[in-house]
Amino acid sequence: MKQLISGNDAIFEGAFRAGATYFAGYPISPTSEILQRAALRSEEDSKFRFLQAEDEIAAAIATISASLAGAKAFTATSGPGFSLMQEALGWGHVVEAPCVFVNSMRVGPSTGMPTQPAQSDLLQIKAGSAGDYYPIAFYPHSVEECFRLTVTAFNAAEESLSPVILLADAFLSHLYELVDLEKIKTEIVPRSKGPLGKGQRLFTGTAHDKIGNVKTSDPVIYREWLGELKDRHFRVAEKYPLFEYLPSKDSNILLIAFGITSRIISALKERFSIFRPIRIYPVLEKELKEVTQSYPRIIVIEGSDAQYASWVEWAIGRKVMKVPCLGGGFKLKWIQSQIEDRLRGEGR
Amino acid sequence: MMDRSYKELLKMRRFPHTWCPGCGIGSVLKNVAMVMKELGWNDKNTVAVSGIGCSGRMSSYMNLDAVHTPHGRALTAAETIKAVRSDLNVVVLSGDGDLGSIGGNHLLHTSRRNPDITVFCNDNEIYGLTGGQAGPTTPQGTKTITSPRGEPYLPLRLGRILTQQAPYFYARTTVYHLNHFKTCIREALLWKGFSFVDIISDCIELNGRRLGFKTAHQMFKWFDERFHIVEGVRDHLQEDELGIAKREVEEVSRPKEEAKAKVEVAVAAEQLKPFTLDELQTFDGTEGKPIYVAYKGKVYDLSKSPLFQGEKRMRCHIAGKDLTKDIDVAPHGDDLIFKFPLVGRLK
Repeated sequence: MKQLISGNDAIFEGAFRAGATYFAGYPISPTSEILQRAALRSEEDSKFRFLQAEDEIAAAIATISASLAGAKAFTATSGPGFSLMQEALGWGHVVEAPCVFVNSMRVGPSTGMPTQPAQSDLLQIKAGSAGDYYPIAFYPHSVEECFRLTVTAFNAAEESLSPVILLADAFLSHLYELVDLEKIKTEIVPRSKGPLGKGQRLFTGTAHDKIGNVKTSDPVIYREWLGELKDRHFRVAEKYPLFEYLPSKDSNILLIAFGITSRIISALKERFSIFRPIRIYPVLEKELKEVTQSYPRIIVIEGSDAQYASWVEWAIGRKVMKVPCLGGGFKLKWIQSQIEDRLRGEGR
Repeated sequence: MMDRSYKELLKMRRFPHTWCPGCGIGSVLKNVAMVMKELGWNDKNTVAVSGIGCSGRMSSYMNLDAVHTPHGRALTAAETIKAVRSDLNVVVLSGDGDLGSIGGNHLLHTSRRNPDITVFCNDNEIYGLTGGQAGPTTPQGTKTITSPRGEPYLPLRLGRILTQQAPYFYARTTVYHLNHFKTCIREALLWKGFSFVDIISDCIELNGRRLGFKTAHQMFKWFDERFHIVEGVRDHLQEDELGIAKREVEEVSRPKEEAKAKVEVAVAAEQLKPFTLDELQTFDGTEGKPIYVAYKGKVYDLSKSPLFQGEKRMRCHIAGKDLTKDIDVAPHGDDLIFKFPLVGRLK
């Protein structure tokens, strides 16, 4: 049965399909609807637990703790809340707690423009918490994809034993589309980690050896541990090399966009080739290299000041042109005029 | 021969532990393990959670599944674990800085939500692990390395905060008053709901020496001077009292007297002074005259209404008019007008 549902609804239903039994959150635009749906679901289904926490710090800690306790858990927030969750995100990587963080991006920094979409938290997913860690992040561009990728995010979390980030934006969260959720087939990876109460393990955010003894001054153990974490994350990420490539015969110009901007510029697919990364991090290095080879000119269109463009430049080793759509100004006409400017050699 | 079976609950292979000689944390850990052993709590049914700090290391010495959270987040983690796995006993072992300062918001809200967890707070009135900075519970005037002229502020009174919630369990004890200490641990572990044990403990190396104590024992004697045990169950504890304050249910506050429904005063029409609409219009509050309005054929004196305040007009109502139609479409009922004295009737 086709239903008219929003991106937020699809994310919640996707999590439920993936077997999530715990949600913790704090009200924030534009993901409050996920919190509301979780509250309703916890009334209907006694197995589903829900906590409206006192702040995002507690919400994120609760998500990780629920995961350690044995539940598939997730939380949803936006940029400012995600900043508060960074502590728990780092902790989740060290204690190896599989769970999903949904970050529906809005214009920042700080409170910014709460109802306007942006794509400017890309660096925050990678580098917001202290130290080195390698989160896997996906970014859908339609309501149906919100559903599919939420399930994928839960699967990747179980495989990488770490928090996985599902990105969205304020536009996508509130985008309503007709979707038939029942017809979408998904594969679900079951829980692999043993729940609490099964032994004498120590789940600590402090550096530790394999049996959980705290080791705070041993570089060999630390390097070994971080190497394993990195290997595991990149191995799992390789299983999901998700992207969409729409080549145009007549064009030698490649547009790179993702999420809602890719949706908007899809109107230009006759004139330009379009590459849409779905796995945002780890960066699709190999795929980007392959695709960009035959294009002398590349334009990255995104809702931030060249955050993804810098990753593209790093991946392919040459300069690209940038169209930053700042302040929620995602208008096709404006983007088109900016592209023309760049092609004439004007602008930045 | 003393029963040493509590050692099954401790990771003896990791000893010697990380704490300084004379520290109170060892005593906290040992006595909690002893009581847990007596109650039959073990690695199959119990989880220990702790935060950061010297006291935060306690969970890693327990032979249980232990969760060592980021700084201040032990309570949220414990609450969630209990919510997901209600079959497990959840114990929080942490310190005053972790629970009261950085985790202060979580302390307020977790205790409000009243999950069935037990919190042991090693309250040594100092940040020990980082070198002896003033903590939230450091008494006023105490010299520490971050308050070289004496701590300027009053300490956080955990007991006062926690006993304002309902239901609550708050016990204060010290590592010196051993029997009392064990009683508090046992009662707290058996309490259904959020229970908090504030264990006054010593940090001889980074606090005591600066205060002029030479040994941990001297600090214990100081605790003995500062505190005395009170018997029985109290509602609240004074700052120098050791004991248990608890309440299972919220004190039922007396229901407010229901406001009497305001109805029209029944007065025979002949007894009321008759007004014509023109006469009524003169009573509009100008030049010190009273404000009269008519409603359903009766005239009321609205001079005392705070909303008119000497003006001729109050939002949409005009003084000296028949307001019958206005009141019918107003968002409020007619009870508002019946509050005022009845002074006459319309002719």
